[in-house]
Amino acid sequence: MSISRMKAVLLQEFYITKRSLEVILDLFFFSVMTIVVFGFVSLFLTGRVSGAPAHYLILGLILWEIIRVNQYSISVGAMWNVWSRNLTNMFIAPLSIKEYFVAHMISGVAKTFLIFIIISLISLAFFDYNIFKLGPLNLFFFFCNLIIFSWTIGIALLGVIFRFGTRIQALAWGAIFIFQPLVASFFPVNVLPAVLQKIAFALPPTYVFEAARAALSNPIFNWKFMMISLGLNTVYFLLSLAFFNYMFRRSKETGQFAKLEG
Amino acid sequence: MNETVLEVKNLVKDFDSFQVLKSISFAIPRGKVVGLLGPNGAGKTTTINILLGITRETSGQIWYFGRNFFKNKQGCLQKMNFASSFNTLQGRISVWENLLVFSYLYSLKNPEKKIKELSTYFEITHLLPKRFWDLSSGEKTRVNLIKSLLNEPELLLMDEPTASLDPDIADKTLSLIENLRKNKNISILYTSHNMDDVTRICDEVIFLDKGKIVAHDTPLGLTKRITKTVLKLTFDGDKNALENFLKEQKQICSFPHPYTVLMNTKEKTIPKLIFGISNLGIWITDIEVEKPTLEDVFLRIARGEK
Repeated sequence: MSISRMKAVLLQEFYITKRSLEVILDLFFFSVMTIVVFGFVSLFLTGRVSGAPAHYLILGLILWEIIRVNQYSISVGAMWNVWSRNLTNMFIAPLSIKEYFVAHMISGVAKTFLIFIIISLISLAFFDYNIFKLGPLNLFFFFCNLIIFSWTIGIALLGVIFRFGTRIQALAWGAIFIFQPLVASFFPVNVLPAVLQKIAFALPPTYVFEAARAALSNPIFNWKFMMISLGLNTVYFLLSLAFFNYMFRRSKETGQFAKLEG
Repeated sequence: MNETVLEVKNLVKDFDSFQVLKSISFAIPRGKVVGLLGPNGAGKTTTINILLGITRETSGQIWYFGRNFFKNKQGCLQKMNFASSFNTLQGRISVWENLLVFSYLYSLKNPEKKIKELSTYFEITHLLPKRFWDLSSGEKTRVNLIKSLLNEPELLLMDEPTASLDPDIADKTLSLIENLRKNKNISILYTSHNMDDVTRICDEVIFLDKGKIVAHDTPLGLTKRITKTVLKLTFDGDKNALENFLKEQKQICSFPHPYTVLMNTKEKTIPKLIFGISNLGIWITDIEVEKPTLEDVFLRIARGEK
């Protein structure tokens, strides 16, 4: 892998983010406004619901934003080039898909980490909720597991878009919300019907959200849940890469990749 | 030594049941400019997309610089580039930023110097801070040309690079291509619908039609395949005598004007005809010979004529 080529993709990401109001709105503004709304709801509930559940919403939201922002960064990052009809240009240069993904993953983690810090500080400063109390080990594993899950979804969605074109581009920023109830981001898994609970426990973020809620009252590190989450993430991530490779190959076979445009 | 920079062997491309490329083979020697021509739907774009690695072939082999493209894709792409007037770069960012991104994609050592050098040659230094989508189509084409030359490619694939350029810049671009070939021994695969450009810069021309190579020759060789030229004579004298003489000579002719005759004849018979007409006492005041051009060859192929 070439550092120079990955630097090129990162540089382009930086230039696009700097010049695109949509990216700034979708990532920073949307995250900040949501934390403000959820912060006030949390404050309201704090006076009425006893104990930790009052903080489920704000905790769930801060962790959910890790998934949303990182997945958005991976999927929509490629769309800017599709809309500009520049994606094939990038691959006419000696850029490999591996280098392209690694660069986007780095960029996604950087953006996500920045937004995570911003909204965590807002919740600490204005809504009396300190996510850092969960401890560095918990936060590190939560962050890593949610990041890997969002890469998995982002890469799979890119495969679908490369294969079928921009007529299904809304998936790039919309499809992730299918997982919001399924991974029980804002409520305990036992709230879900039995069938959905089974689905929930097949998804890596569910273990993160469950462990995080439990850590609100007792901030111990749940090794079991983190290892299950990591194991599932590894399997899904590899499946996602295989799925992407298949879709990318089909897209080249059908000529769709050469025609990708906004 | 006549080294080959690109060799295509038995390239086939099927889109479902439709065969777009029917086992085409050709080679580009180092330092040569080869034109790839053909009517719409002939398979030119598919060929170029496969050569660039963005469409997958059904079967066949591609060798760049003696290396198998499918096994050494990045190494091959590092030594080649692509320019098209239909190609666009990232619209939201500036020309400078776009060129810098591509410089890093090609791992250039001193990208700023290279960008400035090429921008000066193509007279676009004033466009460097502008966003790409704010440029005119001619300006975009020039930026694309610069992008294609950043890595000093040994092989350049060019898809109608002078379309949408004004005559001055188009001429400059063609001169640049001629200089690149002369000074850097660069090889080019060139598609265009402008037959004058093709005649000017191409050493060889490949005609594709319905997915098959129907002709592969020098531009001169191709035009010589059309043996008949148009002879236009302006005369002063007896029209009927002239008409009878031409009938005797089995010439098909027409008289667009009472003192003008047009003939579709073989080049070698022209002196004999002129001598015969003079012997009739007819005064020839003007002679025009229109030799077949590459455009005539193109039209014949496109219309399915032999």
